[in-house]
Amino acid sequence: MALPSLTLLGQSLLSGLFIGALYGLLGLGLSLSWGMLRQINLAHFALAFLGAYLTYQLAGAGINPLATLAVIVPCFFALGALMHWLLARFSVSALVTFGLTAIIEALIQWIWTADFRRMESGYSDVKFRVGALYVALPELLTLAMALALSLAVWAWLRHTYTGKAMRAIAEDAPIAAAFGVDVHGLSLLLSGLCAAFAGVAGLSLALSYTLAPGQIYAWLGVVFAAVMLGGLGNPLGPLVAGIVIGVSEALTMAFTAPAWAPLVSFSLLIVVLLARPGRI
Amino acid sequence: MFEVERIRVSYGAAPAISEVSIRVGAGELACVVGPNGAGKTTLINAIAGLHPIEAGALRMDGRDLSRLPRHAFCGEGIAIVPEGRRLFAGMSVRENLELGSYRRAARARRGASLERVCDVFPVLRERLEQAAGTLSGGEQQMLAIGRALMAQPRLLLLDEPSLGLAPAVVLAVFDVIREINASGVAVLLVEQNAALALELAARAYVLEEGRIAAEGRPAELLARPHIRRAYLG
Ligand SMILES: Nc1ncnc2c1ncn2[C@@H]1O[C@H](COP(=O)(O)OP(=O)(O)OP(=O)(O)O)[C@@H](O)[C@H]1O
Ligand SMILES: [Mg+2]
Repeated sequence: MALPSLTLLGQSLLSGLFIGALYGLLGLGLSLSWGMLRQINLAHFALAFLGAYLTYQLAGAGINPLATLAVIVPCFFALGALMHWLLARFSVSALVTFGLTAIIEALIQWIWTADFRRMESGYSDVKFRVGALYVALPELLTLAMALALSLAVWAWLRHTYTGKAMRAIAEDAPIAAAFGVDVHGLSLLLSGLCAAFAGVAGLSLALSYTLAPGQIYAWLGVVFAAVMLGGLGNPLGPLVAGIVIGVSEALTMAFTAPAWAPLVSFSLLIVVLLARPGRI
Repeated sequence: MFEVERIRVSYGAAPAISEVSIRVGAGELACVVGPNGAGKTTLINAIAGLHPIEAGALRMDGRDLSRLPRHAFCGEGIAIVPEGRRLFAGMSVRENLELGSYRRAARARRGASLERVCDVFPVLRERLEQAAGTLSGGEQQMLAIGRALMAQPRLLLLDEPSLGLAPAVVLAVFDVIREINASGVAVLLVEQNAALALELAARAYVLEEGRIAAEGRPAELLARPHIRRAYLG
């Protein structure tokens, strides 16, 4: 086994950190709706890709990719709230969200075809040099957004009245209601936020990756692993666990072969599940 | 002040309680006693808005509450200390108390309420930042009562507050209930420990198999031999 050079090691640690941030960004909404509302939203990934394609489209029309958030965030918020309302109104199983994934995938394929799409923007090729290492601007933006959103949600849940009410709903919704918490309204709010986070993750995907409809499923396994490792409903969990997974994957690739990387997240998950059973 | 009028509540097909009517006057302490599975928890939860009622009415000062959304019951001055306490176990003692005063009117007086609760239960003051789930059984019961007091209720519902507590703690909790009532809060108390409850109450109801089997002043009820035998052993 050849040892990689220090520079190569540093570069792979960095890329692990950045991809971990994207795992965290994709996992945030998933973890919150699963942990706090007991809703596993499988359509979360499809929403993120829908967001990515919309960013791609708007950027193609000359709009700054970051500015597209001003459109995407409110639209996705409304979409998420609507989805929650429908799920609650007709009390259907979470499997419906898998069907929704297929529908969104078909929609994407219909509008943008199955061809690969790559967003051209002023951001994609900007790189900074830090010593011997390179940092790409899109990845830095992803890390910044993941950090900002995770910390903001954490602070909201810990320090505001509505945030505490949200945590109370997660523990015992009927009793929270008995003390005046509007459970239905706050659940709509959280579902809207989760979908908006998917939209933000979509921006990151569009900034750093080439898009294709089939890619929706590529992120499912590893992001679920990050969500479960991080603890359901824990706002900082997906980011921390995502970074642990991302860095472990990067190290695995640097020291062994890239083919081993996908095993990392699941090995970590199994180890953690064995170490603290019944507490995901 | 508060009236339950011939209500029926079911889980699935079979009604758990039906044709149940009770009333609690302003500042009064009423109790409901009855064997296991009689429907006491069902009744008290329905009054707190936790269960929809199928028939009948809940009236506060004559206004019908039964069509209100669940989270509006608290605003009508009703607060519950539920069976099994049902604290927000992962949240701190302080956060549990804050949630008690979640609705706007109670929020404005949060600081004063918190002081009052900590005066009533000094042990909670020492544990404010601790997770509720780490408290002992007695402390948890005090927190459940404290959380309900934070809501500034006019009617306090208590479901088996003595359950699982050591005898000395039970007496302490009942002293507090008496004090709360003396401060002008109406109390509806459900208790397995009928002797204690009947001693405290001004009005008592006996619930059996989902129906009110007897009602009256505790002294009157205790004068009936079959009730005495069934509830005081
Ligand atoms: N969630 C539920 N689903 C179905 N049936 C229930 C449920 N909760 C209670 N019941 C039934 O309703 C009836 C009344 O139950 P309830 O808990 O109100 O009685 P209780 O008087 O509070 O009893 P205990 O003294 O044991 O607390 C019982 O027959 C019980 O089996
Ligand atoms: Mg009961």
